[in-house]
Amino acid sequence: MNPERTRKIETLLGLLATQLIVAALLLYVLDEPGRIVAAQDQVLHTQLDQAMSLYAENCAVCHGLAGEGIGSIPALENEGLRSMPYYDLVRVIADGRYNTGMPAWSLENGGPLSDYQIGELVALILSGDWQATQERVVNLGLAPLVPFTTDPDPALLEQVTWLPGGETLQVGIRVYAAECIACHGTDGLGSAIAPALNEPLVRTRTVDELTRTIAYGSAGTLMAGWDGVLSPEEIAAAVALIQRWDEIPSGTLPAPEAPVPLTAESLVLGSELYTASCARCHGTDGQGTMRAPGLNVRGFLTETSDPAIQQIVTLGVPGTSMPAWGDRMTEAEIQALVGFIRQWEPTAPEVAVPSRGAGGGAGAGNGRGGPPWLRDSAQATALPLPTPTQLVDPQPTEIPAVVEGSPTPTSIPAHTPGAEAQTPGGGNPPWAQAAAEPAAALPPLDWRILALVGGGLAIASTLILIGYTALKRPRR
Amino acid sequence: MTETDPENQNPSLLRRIRARLVPDAHPADDRGRMRMVLDSLILHLHPPKVPDRTLKWTYTWGLGGLSAVLMLILGATGAILLNNYTPSAPQAYLDILELRSNVWFGELVRNLHHWSANLLVIIAVLHLLRVFLTGSYRAPRELNWLIGVGMLLLVLAANFTGYLLPWDQLAYWAITVGTGILSYIPLVGEWLSRLVLGGPEVGASTLLNFYSLHISFIPLLIFGLMSFHFWRVRKDGGLTLPRRIDETEEPRVERLTTIPHLVRKELVFALVWIAAILIFAMLVPAPLEDIANPGLSPNPAKAPWYFLGLQELLLHFHPLVAGIILPGLAMLGIFLLPFIDINTASVGIYFRSRRGRSLSLLALGLAILLTPLWVLLDEFILDWSAWLPSWPSLITNGLIPMTVVLLPLILIDDWAQKHLRADLEERILFLVIFLFTAFGILTAIGIFFRGPGMNLYWPWLMPEVVH
Repeated sequence: MNPERTRKIETLLGLLATQLIVAALLLYVLDEPGRIVAAQDQVLHTQLDQAMSLYAENCAVCHGLAGEGIGSIPALENEGLRSMPYYDLVRVIADGRYNTGMPAWSLENGGPLSDYQIGELVALILSGDWQATQERVVNLGLAPLVPFTTDPDPALLEQVTWLPGGETLQVGIRVYAAECIACHGTDGLGSAIAPALNEPLVRTRTVDELTRTIAYGSAGTLMAGWDGVLSPEEIAAAVALIQRWDEIPSGTLPAPEAPVPLTAESLVLGSELYTASCARCHGTDGQGTMRAPGLNVRGFLTETSDPAIQQIVTLGVPGTSMPAWGDRMTEAEIQALVGFIRQWEPTAPEVAVPSRGAGGGAGAGNGRGGPPWLRDSAQATALPLPTPTQLVDPQPTEIPAVVEGSPTPTSIPAHTPGAEAQTPGGGNPPWAQAAAEPAAALPPLDWRILALVGGGLAIASTLILIGYTALKRPRR
Repeated sequence: MTETDPENQNPSLLRRIRARLVPDAHPADDRGRMRMVLDSLILHLHPPKVPDRTLKWTYTWGLGGLSAVLMLILGATGAILLNNYTPSAPQAYLDILELRSNVWFGELVRNLHHWSANLLVIIAVLHLLRVFLTGSYRAPRELNWLIGVGMLLLVLAANFTGYLLPWDQLAYWAITVGTGILSYIPLVGEWLSRLVLGGPEVGASTLLNFYSLHISFIPLLIFGLMSFHFWRVRKDGGLTLPRRIDETEEPRVERLTTIPHLVRKELVFALVWIAAILIFAMLVPAPLEDIANPGLSPNPAKAPWYFLGLQELLLHFHPLVAGIILPGLAMLGIFLLPFIDINTASVGIYFRSRRGRSLSLLALGLAILLTPLWVLLDEFILDWSAWLPSWPSLITNGLIPMTVVLLPLILIDDWAQKHLRADLEERILFLVIFLFTAFGILTAIGIFFRGPGMNLYWPWLMPEVVH
């Protein structure tokens, strides 16, 4: 090429590049403040997102679903906390609070959280969205099951009056219902975070021991000191209650009607679990079969609270074919299942219309049996059957002991593969874990596959052809 | 001249400064001209005159120069990044967040560093390929080839050590996977792995190790080798002369002055690339994932992209074969190339000869065809360890698959020799292009087609794994 022209082109190119560099830098300078603000937002957003999971895993059990606090444990959704200095909050989480239930969480103090994670939690306290946090806690299946407060059963409380020293016991029951049930559970039977008090071993403790524990707490545990909150009389009444619990009728301190919290995701999981594990006996739509009573029935749903259904599912019903699902499903999964069953309530029929159980023990949806193409669950549910309806005896606060009817024992759903596959190894429920991992099967053809494979083949064969024919062409 | 000019016995301050900074461009006497050439930095790097043919940019594609430009960008941005980085976990990650969200131009500098580093790997490999394809490593340039290959390895090492520094999930697991290969080296593997990691697994000591390697040891070595490389280019007689394929006699060489002809080209080339890299870095942020979490491995856990060809091999062979024997043989081959491929007659001709060009097309086509075929075959059908359950895995997963791969290669080479009458340099060309393309395709498969569980997926149907 003409060297003069080359020189001109090169000079022009150089000039253009220089202008581009200068212009780009200028534009970037103008954009930089906005970019920094956006980046800060993004960092905060990410940190809050991770903090919500950390909160669900570590804090929700005491501080509640949405930071509202449980019993005497303080709320975190709190204007006062939001105005605290950042490092004060870091210190509280990292080092704990002496003489309270708040342990030290930092790794260097023997806790489970890194400094980075503690920083994220502080970000949550300072600027988190507690509504979103509640959803996260529920989605992770970590909603604390403990009742926060309850009202004692009036009839049974009345009975207590007739006991010797009944007045004191009544005071003790009221105190327990307001302050202690959060951790120590209904009827003093204990919960995931605190031991049972309604127990012979506890009853052997002296008044002094019990008073001291209540008033000053128990070091190294979540048990806080209550002498600032309760009057000495109230503490004495609580001690009396603990020592004489065997005289109190069970059910005096029932679980409150706390519905299991729900999200769209947990409903989907509940539906999947129901189909995989329950539909075989209870019917595809909870209408019941010959093996098990209907669940989609007004009477059952209105009279059985969520905690009661959860208890039935978890513990099973002894003496019937209803197995205990507690060792096959996580608490979160059972909660999701309860939520799914609960959403039938508004449309539940007065009388269940059970479908005939399929003889061969085939899967859910197998309404009529027979060859697969004849099994149609929609038709099956429509089949009216003369079997009398049987309902679980609704006794919300007790383990239901009796289910009428005698389902065939052989039809106990064996260790359902679906339920197990849902929980691979981890504590988190399936929807919080990896998406199902399909085998390496390649999907059916589409245009991209054709383009890629066809293009590759075309290019390769063209190259080979050109190269080969050129090589075989006779030389001069 | 200013110093000897009688009228300027007492030059002003400004004149004195100017005289030092801007040397007189047109010395009157020979001695002055000589001094000027000797004192010029540019003419220290380049000869005063260069053959006009070597200025054709479609011969070298400016790849070596671009590598040098990228090294300069990396040095400058790296020095800036040093000011805002602490090599300790988790502070390292917090520093990157800080850089991103609270430092003016912090993101831009990081992006520039990140993308330049990745581009450098590509450009350095292409530079090596160019030198191979034009036969420019032959005598007397063998030593410079060795230096260049050494620098390529150092660039990879720099990139790999830098990969860990952000201390995010991507970094942590890529380095965990990448260093996992080390422990398969017989005898010293375990020891070497502990030495590099500073412990049994990637942790705080690894971060410090990699940091010190990344900011001192490797850059110093690269800088030293770069200077040596440039010096050798001059000592070996400059660039090889590009020649047309039928040009048998020594070409007539016309020489042009380096200043301005070569220097202007270099400057324009550098400016265009800097503009491109700058704009790319402004638009595309360097990746940053969540903070490193040793308890939560991503699925799939992949090494840095330039090692995915190796990781792909690891899926098909026993680790000793895929991680040590094959790469070792490949490195040995690359180092020995200039001592085996010694025909100086075809230096400067792309693809050696007419037959070489056809053979190259053939090699390219065969590699494109056979590599994916072999991957699919090995993934879904060949299963030697299941067919020969009682045999040791080094044989069923190592030697047998290696034979399955190498035997056709030897047969093809034999066919090219006997049937296509390829001579030694053409056979080498054929083999190298075939293996290089195959490795490139394996890398692409590793990057785009491997999904959760390192299973094969179509890239557009890649399942998202959420933790």
